[in-house]
Amino acid sequence: MHALIQGVILGVLTAGVYALMASGQTLIFGIMKVINLAQGAMVILAAYLSYQLHASFGLDPFLAIPITPVALFVIGVAVEVLFLRPLRQGDKAELSLLVTFAVALLLEGVISLGWKTTYRSINTSYANSSWTVFGYQITLVRLWAFLLSIGVLVALYLLLNRTRFGRAVRATVQNPESAQLLGVESRLVSALGFGLGSATAAAAGSVYGLLYAFHPGSHYDLISLLLSIVVLGGLGSIGGAVLGALIVSVSSSVVAATISPAWSAMTFFVILLGVLLVRPQGLFGSPVRGAI
Amino acid sequence: MSRVGVLRGAAFFALVAALPSFNLAHWVLNMAVFVLMYAVMSSAWNLVGGFAGYPSLGHAAFFGLGAYSVGIWFEHHHLTSGLEPFYLLPLIGIVAAIVGLPIAMIAMRTRTDVFAIVTITLLFVAQTLAFNLHTFTGGAQGLAIPVAPFPVGTFERPFYYVLTILLAVAMGITWASMRSKFGLSLESVHADEDKARGIGVQVTMVKLLAFCVSVGLVAMVGAVWAYYESFVYPQFAIDPLITIAMVLMTFLGGRATLWGPVLGAVVLETAQQVLAYQLGGSQIYLVAYAGVFLLVMLVLPRGILPTVTDRLRQRRRRTSAAAASRSAAHGGITVPKGEAA
Amino acid sequence: MTRTTRGRRRASLVATAACALVLGVAGCASSSSSKGGGNKSGPLVIGASVSLSGDFADSGKAVQRGYQLWADEVNAKGGILGRKVQVKIVDDTSSPNQVTTNYQNLINRDHVNLVFGPFSSLLTVPASQVAKRYGYAFIEAAGGGPSVFAQNLQNLFFVQRATVLTSGDVFADWILSLPADQRPKTAAYPELDDPFSAPIAEAIRKRFEAAGIKTVYKEVYPAETQDLSPVMSGLAAKHPDVVVSGTQAEDAYAQVKSLIQLKFSPKFMFMSNGASDPLNFPDKVGAANTAGIMSVADWYPTSDATGSQAFVSAYVKKYGGTAQQIDPTSAEAFACGQILEDVAKQTGKVDNATIIKTLHSGTWQTLLGSLSWDQSGAPKGTMSLVQWQSGKLTPVFPAADAKATPLSTKPNWGG
Repeated sequence: MHALIQGVILGVLTAGVYALMASGQTLIFGIMKVINLAQGAMVILAAYLSYQLHASFGLDPFLAIPITPVALFVIGVAVEVLFLRPLRQGDKAELSLLVTFAVALLLEGVISLGWKTTYRSINTSYANSSWTVFGYQITLVRLWAFLLSIGVLVALYLLLNRTRFGRAVRATVQNPESAQLLGVESRLVSALGFGLGSATAAAAGSVYGLLYAFHPGSHYDLISLLLSIVVLGGLGSIGGAVLGALIVSVSSSVVAATISPAWSAMTFFVILLGVLLVRPQGLFGSPVRGAI
Repeated sequence: MSRVGVLRGAAFFALVAALPSFNLAHWVLNMAVFVLMYAVMSSAWNLVGGFAGYPSLGHAAFFGLGAYSVGIWFEHHHLTSGLEPFYLLPLIGIVAAIVGLPIAMIAMRTRTDVFAIVTITLLFVAQTLAFNLHTFTGGAQGLAIPVAPFPVGTFERPFYYVLTILLAVAMGITWASMRSKFGLSLESVHADEDKARGIGVQVTMVKLLAFCVSVGLVAMVGAVWAYYESFVYPQFAIDPLITIAMVLMTFLGGRATLWGPVLGAVVLETAQQVLAYQLGGSQIYLVAYAGVFLLVMLVLPRGILPTVTDRLRQRRRRTSAAAASRSAAHGGITVPKGEAA
Repeated sequence: MTRTTRGRRRASLVATAACALVLGVAGCASSSSSKGGGNKSGPLVIGASVSLSGDFADSGKAVQRGYQLWADEVNAKGGILGRKVQVKIVDDTSSPNQVTTNYQNLINRDHVNLVFGPFSSLLTVPASQVAKRYGYAFIEAAGGGPSVFAQNLQNLFFVQRATVLTSGDVFADWILSLPADQRPKTAAYPELDDPFSAPIAEAIRKRFEAAGIKTVYKEVYPAETQDLSPVMSGLAAKHPDVVVSGTQAEDAYAQVKSLIQLKFSPKFMFMSNGASDPLNFPDKVGAANTAGIMSVADWYPTSDATGSQAFVSAYVKKYGGTAQQIDPTSAEAFACGQILEDVAKQTGKVDNATIIKTLHSGTWQTLLGSLSWDQSGAPKGTMSLVQWQSGKLTPVFPAADAKATPLSTKPNWGG
């Protein structure tokens, strides 16, 4: 029982950072119908950036969060304009898989050149601090990571629901044709949307770097996880991404704590398969178009 | 078309089959073995991912199934001539197809993006099983396969010839289906599955058949690979990168074409192996590989073959406008999505 | 009619591409074979494929530094038998297909005179098969898993003091040498599921169980496990006296961090790998937390084995840093070269057949200590037990290697 509850606590705390990564992914899909295989690589790039800021200037990764998203936003917009925009509308969905995979490789290569291929981790003074609450361990860094992820998600929600840009994005997600008729510049929304999705990845990357060690190839592990979360929640749905992250994270850490970590990866894949059999569009996905 | 197609195929396979006789160096044949492996797998993937429009990312699970089949079989049997694993191939193909059937029945209820993710999930499930079912797979310790007792001078040849035969089978199936109702049904599934069902196409049967044949072929390649490497480790036998390579090669060469996947495999596998060998030391390999890749995608977005044939066609159109215009829309192998609809 | 023309054009395109490729490849083949290797006068070219990208890149580069440094050193002394040594390093991207291709290319295309091994048993197995096929000696510094020796190849020599399976013996020896009342009563085994980590802990577990040390916890976790806190909190709940970790690198750091966060410090703590990394371990877990943790090594910066101190000063001169920061993997790679030098000195030859024949007998003095091999290439020696004491990795057992007495109780976290 103790192990089970400890597993749930850990799962919930970890879910925050997964939700953040996945919401960027699902946002990009919602706007552009593009599955961004470079999302994981962007997370890792951001982790390296905040590693560097910490190593060079002693900047705390939490304080790096306003900085790395700006950098990744620019990169995201550039990727959209340079590589995704020229694709033909007809087979954009399939070709974008290849293009974003190539972008992931490119980022991995650039990271390897810039930071070598050694594992890095960001060691802050509070990295090993923890509290014991009713006999359960809660590490400080994980709690901060969780709160921060929630904070960024709330900011993202406000951006999408309270701003003109957000309205344009949601209109595009629901119906690109009529959004265009209403005067939404879809090319601009796509570029900014991709940038925003990348910026979200960057915020997640700074947090990720605090929690785990990473190397340039770490994005391979992330991307399958992200895809599962996004599909489980329903492509294009941010609420779904959050719920998906929670399910994935809690189920795998509970299985790791109570049965064996050897089977924990399989647990959420099995859940995913089960859900998709009943609801092929995912938990929150609408059968026709995504909704944010 | 038919006669020329047969001649072309015959000429190609005559050339491929004759290559080892030119006394090529071992390293050339070694590279050719890897290129052929991927050519077979891309051609097989093309049946599902190219023609039917179901982009499976789980094919590497079946590659692993083939690899482990050989490994487990030869834990209990001995090699004498060294050809025994090859005799086992048809059986492995059939087993993989049978295993693939229920999986396809479940997975193919979803479409495109979701299908891709369901199948990649399958791949990770398979990998977890390979790691954890120690009794069968040896877990992380891997599984040794007896070393092929072929003479040093011609060591690669049996692998090369067997893969050539597999390529002929894969391309033969592709070619035959492109010229039959089966291929037409697959294309209609790709274009609009619901409409196809509406007009009486046996949608389910057609796509299940394509999936089973496809994974059967991939499993056979996995078996040959395991024998060639003489060892099976779970992270190498069931590797997402294997599937991704099949997808990239098919798209690069031109999906839903006969020669596209082969061309893609030749270009990409050679490029990768040569770049890693030549440039790896300078760390620039990944950047160069990704750069070339992006460039190709931008310049030849539909794959090399369709884009180049399109260009040729356009040029011809300018010179003799009348003849080309009508047949082009229906002619040939590729039906670009826009024109098909 | 038009269809035929179109088809033919496509056919000619494919044919042209195929021919271009074949010709290009064949052209390279003939041009390189004309240069020809196997020559007895030019430079002695040694080829090696290591992982410069992919999962094993980190360690692959340590191997590369060791090979390269040895080549520089031997060339400064005038080379081997008067021939300059040239090391050709290529990248195998941590992939078995690429490693096969690379050794094929090194041997049959670039006709290198000799080859050294890659990093990791996973890649050593296919690579050594290629070397065996063409009669090359396979001197390798980093493939010691059971699968490597199960091949029984005869041309392979693993340049470390012990194999993976026997490397933990020295820790079991030490524990069992303690007076009965000081020995641990209960043990926990968190093990990484890979061929070089879990087997070490398993070998120790068998000996401990035979000696009556009770196993209270055992968990095997997969390589991609990001989060070890579930495992470690399960472990801490059992309060074992000794923790025997079958670890690689990142997971070792994660285990320690997790135990610190759980505020559980066992009486004895042994980690198969990771803790023996003098650079990364204190960096990742905090220097104060290393105190008392044990591992095994066949090389440490204070070693006075043959050429060890010369290696240290050459290394620091070439790559910077301090002696404490040298990855033992580089030393092991360097030792491959030392062995080659000795064979040349002893026989006056450096061809593969001579190397294979010569290395199967006698013992060889290297910076790792003296080495000798059985027919399968497994080294016959044992490792040294090392322990972190006041921020330094210090050999403590067996007595012959020891530079300090072992702390028989690990201090609490933070020193």
